[in-house]
Amino acid sequence: MKVRFFASAACLAGMALFLVSCGKKEETAENAPASAAQPAATPIDMATVGSVTGGVKFDGVAPKPKKINMASEPACAAAHPGGVVDPEVVVDAKNNLANVIVYVKEGLGDRAFDTPKQAAELDQQGCMYVPHIVAVMTGQSITVKNADQTTHNIHPSPKNNREWNKSQAAGAPDITDVFAREEVAIPVKCNVHPWMKSYIAVFKHPYFAVSGADGSFTIKDLPPGTYTLEAWHEKYGTSDQTVTIGAKEAKTVTFTFKPAA
Amino acid sequence: MPEVQTDDPIQRKSLSTAILVSSFLLVLSLVWAMEDEFFGLRPWRGYQLRFTAAYSKYLKQQIPKQENALKAIESSPRYQELLAARDAAQKAAASRLAEIDAETRAVNQQQADISDAFTTARGKVQALTYQVELARKGSSSRASREKDVEEARAEKYTVEAHLPGGKIGKEELDFAALSDKFVSLKAKKAELTLQRVAVSKEASDLSAQLEEYKKEQLAGLGPEQLRSLLRASADLPIEIRQINVNPSNVGLNNFGSGGLVDRCQSCHLGMDKAVVPVTMTVTKADLGVSKSHDAPFTSHPQPELLKAHDLERFGCSPCHGGNGRAVSSVEKAHGRYEHWLWPLYHSENFEAGCQQCHSSDAWTQYAPVLNRGKALYRSRGCIGCHKFEGFDDQPEQLQASRQMIKQLEQQKKENELEVPRLNKQADNAADNDTAHALYAKATNLTVTISKIDARVEQLDRRAESLSREAKKVGPDLKEIRMKLHKEWVPYWLGHTHEFRPATKMPQFRLKQDEVEAIAAFVWQSALPGPALPAQPAGNAAHGKELLQTRGCLACHSLGEGANSVGGDFAANLSRVGEKDRYEYLVRWVHNPRERTRPYCPFEKRDLGPEDYARHGLPFVFDLDHSRCPNDGHELEVQQPTVMPNLRLSIEDARDVASFIVTLKRSNASYAPAPFMDDGNLLEKGKALVRNYGCAGCHEIAGFEDEGRIGAELTTEGSKPIDRFDFGRLTEVAKRGIIVQADGSPTKKEEESWYDQRGFFLHKLVNPAVFDYNRSEATLKMPKPNVTADDITALTTFLLGSVDPQFPPEYKYLPADQRRDIQEGWWIVTKYNCMGCHQIQVGQPSILQTLPMYQAENKANLPPALTTEGARVDPKWLEGFLKNPAQSATDTNRNGVRSYLQVRMPTFSFSEGEIQKLVRFFAALSSQQSPYMTPKLEPLTAAERDLARGLFTSKAAPCLKCHATGNPAHDKIASAPNFLLARERLKAAWTERWITDPAKIIPGTSMPSGLFRREGDRWVFSGPLPASFHGYTKDHADLLVRYMFQLTPEEQRALLGRSPGSNGAGGAN
Amino acid sequence: MWGDWRQLWEIVSVPDNVPIVALLFLVPFYVWYAFRQALATDKLIVQLTSDPQLAKTHHRKVFPWKLGWDREVHVWPYLLRIEFLAAIVITVILMVWSITLNAPLEEPANPNLTMNPAKAPWYFLGLQEMLVYFDPWIAGVVMPTLIIVGLMAIPYIDVNPLGNGYYTYRQRKFAIGTFLFGFLTLWVGMIVIGTFIRGPGWMWFWPTQTWDHTRVDFAVNRNLNQVLPFSWVVPDTAWGRGIFGGLATGAYMVVAGYLMHRMCVMTDFAKKLYNRMTLMQILTLNMLLVLMLSLPVKIVLRLVFRIKYVWVTPWFSV
Repeated sequence: MKVRFFASAACLAGMALFLVSCGKKEETAENAPASAAQPAATPIDMATVGSVTGGVKFDGVAPKPKKINMASEPACAAAHPGGVVDPEVVVDAKNNLANVIVYVKEGLGDRAFDTPKQAAELDQQGCMYVPHIVAVMTGQSITVKNADQTTHNIHPSPKNNREWNKSQAAGAPDITDVFAREEVAIPVKCNVHPWMKSYIAVFKHPYFAVSGADGSFTIKDLPPGTYTLEAWHEKYGTSDQTVTIGAKEAKTVTFTFKPAA
Repeated sequence: MPEVQTDDPIQRKSLSTAILVSSFLLVLSLVWAMEDEFFGLRPWRGYQLRFTAAYSKYLKQQIPKQENALKAIESSPRYQELLAARDAAQKAAASRLAEIDAETRAVNQQQADISDAFTTARGKVQALTYQVELARKGSSSRASREKDVEEARAEKYTVEAHLPGGKIGKEELDFAALSDKFVSLKAKKAELTLQRVAVSKEASDLSAQLEEYKKEQLAGLGPEQLRSLLRASADLPIEIRQINVNPSNVGLNNFGSGGLVDRCQSCHLGMDKAVVPVTMTVTKADLGVSKSHDAPFTSHPQPELLKAHDLERFGCSPCHGGNGRAVSSVEKAHGRYEHWLWPLYHSENFEAGCQQCHSSDAWTQYAPVLNRGKALYRSRGCIGCHKFEGFDDQPEQLQASRQMIKQLEQQKKENELEVPRLNKQADNAADNDTAHALYAKATNLTVTISKIDARVEQLDRRAESLSREAKKVGPDLKEIRMKLHKEWVPYWLGHTHEFRPATKMPQFRLKQDEVEAIAAFVWQSALPGPALPAQPAGNAAHGKELLQTRGCLACHSLGEGANSVGGDFAANLSRVGEKDRYEYLVRWVHNPRERTRPYCPFEKRDLGPEDYARHGLPFVFDLDHSRCPNDGHELEVQQPTVMPNLRLSIEDARDVASFIVTLKRSNASYAPAPFMDDGNLLEKGKALVRNYGCAGCHEIAGFEDEGRIGAELTTEGSKPIDRFDFGRLTEVAKRGIIVQADGSPTKKEEESWYDQRGFFLHKLVNPAVFDYNRSEATLKMPKPNVTADDITALTTFLLGSVDPQFPPEYKYLPADQRRDIQEGWWIVTKYNCMGCHQIQVGQPSILQTLPMYQAENKANLPPALTTEGARVDPKWLEGFLKNPAQSATDTNRNGVRSYLQVRMPTFSFSEGEIQKLVRFFAALSSQQSPYMTPKLEPLTAAERDLARGLFTSKAAPCLKCHATGNPAHDKIASAPNFLLARERLKAAWTERWITDPAKIIPGTSMPSGLFRREGDRWVFSGPLPASFHGYTKDHADLLVRYMFQLTPEEQRALLGRSPGSNGAGGAN
Repeated sequence: MWGDWRQLWEIVSVPDNVPIVALLFLVPFYVWYAFRQALATDKLIVQLTSDPQLAKTHHRKVFPWKLGWDREVHVWPYLLRIEFLAAIVITVILMVWSITLNAPLEEPANPNLTMNPAKAPWYFLGLQEMLVYFDPWIAGVVMPTLIIVGLMAIPYIDVNPLGNGYYTYRQRKFAIGTFLFGFLTLWVGMIVIGTFIRGPGWMWFWPTQTWDHTRVDFAVNRNLNQVLPFSWVVPDTAWGRGIFGGLATGAYMVVAGYLMHRMCVMTDFAKKLYNRMTLMQILTLNMLLVLMLSLPVKIVLRLVFRIKYVWVTPWFSV
């Protein structure tokens, strides 16, 4: 209104016509954004790849392993004449910590990797998950077997992935499923046998390893570069380290976990 | 005229330049007028032109994409297969079709041959017959005319007919013959058409299928549709596009006189169904104008809303505000100028539009902000001072019903006096008729008296349930002598928000002397005793565990500031230790509803043991003993708190209390407060308490019947702006000068905030703001404890609270099941059921969001109630809500899921609330009520054996997880006892459940894939006991039927047989 | 709040007020312009009266007249072209005005909620302002009627034959004076007051004073009979007051009438005219003048002496 008043006042003086602009806003045109194209992933030259090996140590007294009572499932109890212990914390004589997932957390940039064809396996033997830790790539299929003479149900409860819960009777066909999103790590349990517990770690890349009984691990075929490695343990959490890999270089790293005070 | 030689200025001076210039100006002004005519006054023209351009461009991009998609589909095997089938069918039909067509042609030919002759003949006959009918019966003229008709009928016509041979032959036919032939040909033709359809049916069906397949496979519109859209948008007429709604009755509102006219779509073309179909959404990015601030072209961001609210019926402006008729400028159209009373809502307040029609909802879908506003209005105690229609009005109702009781009793007394008087009159009446009349009158009165008694009794019932429903936001201050440390009270009044940053209690603006007076009054008016029994200390560690596991955190939170964990529905407990006494806490935790003394609303005082003693009664009062010993009416026997009874044992209560008292700051200490016992402060304190309306949220001795002191806000949003008191800030607001919290103007200026929104926003930030520069404070409203988001929510709520701008029939008051849902939400939100239970899909409960219930611990969550109505029998649910312990004796437990740490507490709902809740759940999963328990086919002996076998087979470890009543086992059980099924569950649901539980409650511990579909029946997927060979019925159904007739004995028998689940079972 | 220029600007820039703003400048300008011409003509008249011969041929009312100028100029083209030019300019102005300022529409009328201040259209603001000084009956009905009657009466009471067809001041001092007083002071002046001075609650706001809706103003307005002790004339009863008011008004009539009479016979020229007039004409003229004068008198009484009514009766108040 005010603007117009100015205009009119000026025009009464007889000049405004040249001043007044016919207000028609200009549209800022632009192309509809094409589906954001991924920049081409930097290719990996297999000639120059290096590797990271190392071990996971446990600094402190290993907690006394918990015994599992399988009385409610005689069949399984029978499978472990010596009894079984909870595989939550497995430390050997030399204080090596097993069942630790070591993986590249940062440093791979925008590289994309194709998922391996062969499926990872999670077996149920004597009402225990074998292996205790499964690490796969996104989209890599996981085959769940049931070697027991009882019905299990496999119940992963992920944060970022689809949750499912399927029962698998004795001798029932294997269950196969995939996880689409990266996640460390998805707890898996069997509601029928409360003690049964396992973890599935899912990665976008193939650079991960699970420490063996002797706490050792190896990550192969790493292109040269600087990476943040992370080690994850179901009880003791995570710890990070940074490594720089030159061409064809083989680095050694050691992770150490302390019991929570 | 002759050119005079003169130096006369009038003649000499030439005006040509002046005239030239001015004429030039004239032309220019004409041009400008044109421009103004086409664009200045009609900005929508510009918008439409720009939209068409952008939209066509977008469509052009889409078409190829969709075409490729379509190609992909067409190359899919299924499609090819259909295609092949169709072609085959066509080929098969081809030859027969050819014959039919040939015949049809022939018939047509023959028809053509005779048609001329036939029509002529028919015409003639009809015309003549008409003449006949004009003539009188029996008249000679009639006879002659009939003769003409006869001749006409007899007349012969020569017809050149094509004979089968293909050559042409002549025929002589009269009218009758012609019409016969004509009719027969017609019949023939019809028959042929039918045949054609029959023959080509298969092919046409298949092609229909093809189209169908294409449609369902293709996401979005097909290229053809897109092309037609493109054509349409290419020649989109540049015109005003308007919605016109003409409801029966229109008032002075957005609908204006003569109905609603919304021309919004003239610029917002994306909203026009005719331009962008509802099945399609267009974003700014799609149109390539995401950078432009002046491109109102997108389709509606919330299509679901449009499905529920048809534009043709609701228009735009009624929900969004704005001046739907104006098209001359954006400012005008959006009504953002002083003379339009319903301006466009600001984007953060859009949901205010919902409120006008959904004011009866406690929870409205798609309106999170509004819902939050409503929740705050109740939970922060706004309702304590400001009445709001539909919000908790039990106090008023109670008043009313008690008033009514008084009146009725008065009337009763009068009647009782009247009866004998009448009888007396009757006894010595003059004649029998009068006597009869009077006797009759007396009798009627006596009957009326008994009627009154009945009515009073009903009113008392009502009063009971009302007083159960009536809750106060704040605690009962009659109890504070038992509850609080004396020194703490005045500190709290003065430093409410410092002490508890998340408290619901607002901060009053009190001077020190006022604080002291109020504190003193409240303290001295509180109940003196009887003092609570001393309690031995409990185990704090255990108490903490209970607090964290029993579900207290669904409402309460622990820990201060950032690291507080839990719900915000109730108090943060982090500093309770500084204020509360241990004994009181024990009682409170053990049963929060317990009162020290019952309140009698008729005598208006708290009864003590002496009152009971006088009638020789023990001093016992609870929901079962709630009648006043003196007058027999309903007492208030409960504390008016929503906190339910968690049925903890007294020991557990002690443990929890012991933990809570440890929650305090180490340095906590409060100045001694001698004035608390100063009797001189009473009067002043009482006046202040009344002035500030403390009784709105607290129960205070002497204020039980105190009304709400604030203005009713039901239609605050449409209160004329002139009636809002901006005080000294009126002009400041009008000029949009930004003010600081205290009201002092700054230098900055923005758009005027002299409107309802501006008032609410500033008032909520600082309720005293409009006292700025006043010589003495006039405003009482305390400072609410709200965040910026809360303020937005409350503002939205208030803005929407208007005299509806819709005609009444638009108000959302459904008559069907949706009404049950509407009512239910009021209760669900009142008691914070969503604290523990998920009620709506995609609406997580508080517990679900807490860290201790993540990942594998989800199993410890209370059950989701998303399908509760379909799952449980309403009769059972009713009982369960009355007593969740499901047992009169052993109440310290969960009734259904004994294995859960979280506990369903006892809310002691009123009858009405329970009914509403039951109906609510039924309605949520669209169950018909009343529920008829379906008759299940009884098990044959054989079937029972089969079922047992299955139940106990290794493959189906049902009893491993489901509770069995064996305590040792139930400790590790993770599912309810089967014995509950018959009473509790609905068979149909149960069958759906066991076949695929994850579909009903994602993340449940119950595994899927126990059964597999085999033909039309479910078959157990594990290895079957041998006995099953040859059993052809549905296994799931079998199990359900078994479950529903399971008896304790049967269950025990099973336990014996089932592997593992023997007594000592389970990992312990 | 003083020095509130924004407030002033808001008042001035309201589309309604544009004509009045223009009025502020145009009226004085044209008065001055007319006077310039009138005075020039007067000089010419003197010259021509002294030279009857010249008067026969010289028909131009322009002064000073220079040698070499024509003694008469034709309407076509010399007048018409100017008028044409004027027509064009006016058209342009009107066009631009109509484009830039739309009709000021306001919210739907709401009987429960009237606007404040509620102002009449600008050309009636004078009348509305009068309501402050007289009761509605007088200000709304009597006065307007009298104005119209008075205007209609002019031809019949104007006995001055001179000044037809040319501007002159000397020959029509009285007419011009009366007009200027009646139109400028009373009509335009009141419109200006009503527009720029009267704010919310029809309170008196000086320019650049904020129109504060919450402003509270203390002003006691009494009737004359409450100010002057009059009980020594008539008893202080309703009747008494009525009579006193009547007397007071009558007194004014007499005094003002006398003054007006003196004015009408001030100069010889005036006397000459006066003698030509019939009694009827004299009385009418005198009465109209007295009534015209009553308005400013009342304004002064009201604004300066805070006197509401002079004469209060149950039927009307003056």
